[in-house]
Amino acid sequence: MEKVGITTTIPVEVLFAVGHQPQDLNNLFITADDYAQYIELAEKDGFPKSSCAWIKGMYGACLENNINRVVSVVEGDCSDTEALNEVLQAKGIKTYPFAYPYEHDLESVQAAIDDFRELFSVSLDEVEAMRNRLNQVRALASEIDRLTWQENKATGFENHLYQINCSDFKGDIDSYEEELKNKISEIKTREPINRELRLGYIGVPPMTADIYEHVTEFSAHIVYNEVQREFTFPRYEQADNIYQQYLDYTYPYDLEFRLKEIKKEVAKRDLDGIIHYTQAFCHREIEDIIIKDELELPTLTIRGDKSRQLDSRMKLRLEAFLDMLGDMRGVN
Amino acid sequence: MRVLGIDLGSREVKVIVLEEGEIVNKFKVSTMSFYRDYCTFSGKIVVDLDKLDIGETDVKISTGYGRNNTDLNEFEVINEVKAHAYGAIYQSGLENFILLDVGGQDVKAVQVEKGLITDIELNEKCAASCGRYLENMAKVLEVSLEELATYSTDPVDLNSTCAVFSESELIGKIAEGASIERLCAGVNYSMYRRLKPLLTGFKGHKLVISGGVAFNQAIIEYLAQDYEQVITLDHPQYNGAIGSCYYGQEISNK
Repeated sequence: MEKVGITTTIPVEVLFAVGHQPQDLNNLFITADDYAQYIELAEKDGFPKSSCAWIKGMYGACLENNINRVVSVVEGDCSDTEALNEVLQAKGIKTYPFAYPYEHDLESVQAAIDDFRELFSVSLDEVEAMRNRLNQVRALASEIDRLTWQENKATGFENHLYQINCSDFKGDIDSYEEELKNKISEIKTREPINRELRLGYIGVPPMTADIYEHVTEFSAHIVYNEVQREFTFPRYEQADNIYQQYLDYTYPYDLEFRLKEIKKEVAKRDLDGIIHYTQAFCHREIEDIIIKDELELPTLTIRGDKSRQLDSRMKLRLEAFLDMLGDMRGVN
Repeated sequence: MRVLGIDLGSREVKVIVLEEGEIVNKFKVSTMSFYRDYCTFSGKIVVDLDKLDIGETDVKISTGYGRNNTDLNEFEVINEVKAHAYGAIYQSGLENFILLDVGGQDVKAVQVEKGLITDIELNEKCAASCGRYLENMAKVLEVSLEELATYSTDPVDLNSTCAVFSESELIGKIAEGASIERLCAGVNYSMYRRLKPLLTGFKGHKLVISGGVAFNQAIIEYLAQDYEQVITLDHPQYNGAIGSCYYGQEISNK
């Protein structure tokens, strides 16, 4: 079983079906003790200071952990990933492209998945069988999501963590399934969390995961993680096949499609406010202009860069925002 | 309902009484005199409201610099930046704007979106970009603050980033024979240049000005070139106290 790096969520069914072990490079980077050194390594090799920390971290993680094969998303994510793909190739790492087609129609998605499947010589039947297996595990991650927003028992961080890991199932489906089952049983025994403000977190997953804990100091609870939730394919039951399932995945497609889903969840989860996380130097920072206009809820934009901890300025801004949001909702 | 709002600033304490949404009382006391003549200390700071001649009030809110300094007995303390944001929302009737508050010893730039603070820049304890700088420079030039504020054309160039060194730079310009108009404009322009970096990170087209600098027409004129609309509040120096009253009336009492 060989580890194959991935730069974001891809049709991981293909890799599992062929017997590979997917490894989300983002997770490898952000959970490493020496994560900052990965960034440094990338910068020493020539990645600009003014480029995304995730890209640099993935590069460092790949090199330092002897990852020899990587699947890169070259369409639907960002142009920095495309360049990362080139640099990795130049370093002798075998890369496989995957594209979420700009057209966003069934025919194009089908072609993209079939191309990808053929790169690894896997049949559609094998992929479909694996999809059904993975969806069982994804359903468990969605249960943690439900335990967060509906029963108020799972924390915002747990919601983030157990959903985000569905990009690669930590490389081992059975053991991740077991971990989720145990976690669900444990969460169910808890008393509901009694916090006044219900927040949604939208945008790419944070560098600064301490944000989940920090907001609790102001009686706020993050009960929606937009992109992390998408990693679990929460609407998989509506899909008859893998093509439909990956067509109904918001993250790599246009903002209008993403916003439609966000608005639905804002209403369903009865949110009071939104935190929009953007990564420094990411094209998604520009989308903040539209997001703030489109969402009626008060929205605070937090821009992370290289650090895993919120800095004092971010904390001050969060405090002021949540303080006034509490006033607005009559909870202080 | 009568609401009392007190903003304890570094130089002056501002007092506002709001009754059914109308300002019915408004005055300032020097900070020194406020603590010395109107307060006693018994575990907490107790304000002699009779001596201040305020009368009965239903809700009392205080704000200002430093929680310990502003935690008055019988008062609810609120964060100073929040008080200013509420003051500007109440006075301007806007929900989306950038607030620039230039006080005697500190400067706050606050982004307000949908009625909530979303960003803050503070420049504290540096004289070079606050009201004190203008006062000092007016003294050097032997003009009143009011007169200083009227000149904006053809400013002399003052490059120093420090308030103290700026004084000697200004004296140099006097020695070179620059006109008083150009010297005054130079002081105003150098202040504007120091305020600008605080605002560059903020998005928006409407700038609301509070604090004493709202009375400086020259600085307002410079800022007006950068924004579609620059709004000076009716009671710029009382903005924090008004915001405290607004909070007391609209939020705390609910």
